[in-house]
Amino acid sequence: MLIAPALALMVAVLAYPLSYSFWLSFHEWTLRGFRAGVPLVWLDNYLELFGEFEFWRSMRVTILFMVGAITLEFILGMALALLLNVGIRGRGLIRALILLPMMATNVVIGLGWRMMYNFDAGIINWFLSLVGIPPVTWLSSVDMALPSVIIVDVWNTTSFVALILLAGLQTIPDDPLEAARIDGASHWQAFYHITLPLLRPTILVALLWRIIDTFRIFDVVFTLTGGGPASATEVVSLYAYRNGFQKFDLGYASAISYAMIAMILLVAFILFRLIGRSEQIF
Amino acid sequence: MPLPVRRSVRTVLTYLALFVAIILSLFPLFWLFLTSIKPKSLTFAIPPAWIFPPTLENYEEVFLYGPFSQYFLNSLIVALGTTAIAITVGTLAAYAFARFTFRGSQLFQMLVLVPQIIPPITIIIPLFILFRSINMIDRTPSLIFTYLSFTIPLSIWMMIGFIRDVPRELEEAALIDGASRWQVMWKVVFPLVAPGLAATAILCFIYSWNEFLYAVILTGRNAKTVPVAITGFITNRDILWGRIAASGSMVLLPVLVFALSVQRYLVRGLSKGAVKG
Repeated sequence: MLIAPALALMVAVLAYPLSYSFWLSFHEWTLRGFRAGVPLVWLDNYLELFGEFEFWRSMRVTILFMVGAITLEFILGMALALLLNVGIRGRGLIRALILLPMMATNVVIGLGWRMMYNFDAGIINWFLSLVGIPPVTWLSSVDMALPSVIIVDVWNTTSFVALILLAGLQTIPDDPLEAARIDGASHWQAFYHITLPLLRPTILVALLWRIIDTFRIFDVVFTLTGGGPASATEVVSLYAYRNGFQKFDLGYASAISYAMIAMILLVAFILFRLIGRSEQIF
Repeated sequence: MPLPVRRSVRTVLTYLALFVAIILSLFPLFWLFLTSIKPKSLTFAIPPAWIFPPTLENYEEVFLYGPFSQYFLNSLIVALGTTAIAITVGTLAAYAFARFTFRGSQLFQMLVLVPQIIPPITIIIPLFILFRSINMIDRTPSLIFTYLSFTIPLSIWMMIGFIRDVPRELEEAALIDGASRWQVMWKVVFPLVAPGLAATAILCFIYSWNEFLYAVILTGRNAKTVPVAITGFITNRDILWGRIAASGSMVLLPVLVFALSVQRYLVRGLSKGAVKG
């Protein structure tokens, strides 16, 4: 059969690891103890997790990051999509150029921005000094570190949001907009009462993908701040990484990852219900 | 204001806004490249040096201290190996999904989305234990195997769309003329989906080339890929920005060239839901 090789490999690289880590989340696996055996500890990992201050802190950081980044990305992305939706010359080229940040290597993005954020000699503070703004302690202050990470993510993925919204805009027929125009609606009214409701399924799809992706963010934060200063940017996947691959408490880390999966599924389920017709996801 | 004037003002403002968007998108990449060809004394000069005699010293240093060419080779082997397996296996499966309906095909197609949803850490913990127990940590095949977890679903996903676009009648005509299913696939379908196949391959390549989390966990001195090696320029004493900029520019170059060459298909694949891995 044609799908047999794909099926076999998917079982090996997805189904097997997924079930193994689920199993592991109910067991104790530590670097010191695993040779002696991996004892079943039932719900201990999960109970420890839910009582752990650091876990909730990382959840808080993740949600703040998610809300901040997604809000900005949708505002800017919508503006960009509307600009690209009027028939202009060179749209293909413009689209190609604004897509580049999205394809760039995450590690390089993180380090490149870290260089630009440098307090004494970074280019960003120099630009600010040109317009008379005093230097900002971007990555080294507890208050500014998370906003700095959000800015990088906005730079990284606004074009993705814009392109999905643009694809949605192009499926909206002109008739209702023209009718509204004739009835004397302003641009804003037409946008708010006609375009936005018609775009709802597209917006929800884009929102679903952005929530899933911001929830899982790792590379950029790892290279930009490493979770610091004082854990101000330790998102939940960094917290899982630290427990799994620095403390080598793999049972506990598995429990963290399954808590993440549960939350993603919950959000996905809610959004699926809102979208209604599921085929529009694809 | 008369209407034509208002319209042209609007056009100018639109272009201006888009111009700003392009500058903002490209500046960080441009700045990284500019830093990579700067003499080291000017890396953090204030005011920033915009014009200077370009130098390759940062690039030389990247290769001089440590086996960086080995890491490039590793990245290349892993990305090419992953891509070759993923698109072969993925295209066959995609053909089956696009042309036949069978029990569980709907469910299986939904499962293709799983790697887009789960946190990568869920997969890497068991694979880490597995590779450790069979002594495959720090070997490129382990990394290729792991990368199949996101490249196979990606290629199935993209190829289903491209194959569906091939009119069924073409295949039926060939079948009536006595061609076998295999011949139809090889001689009718594949030539027609070649551009889509290339775009899919390039996406698989880019995602594998860019991948960091799996590589940092599964590799050490031998099988290290470039993204992992770059983070090695952050040492305990110092951050070697010149070398980071130089190696970063070298990693980005193939990605940007490829991304530009397939952007038409990229937009299509992305708006279908295949997201950044």
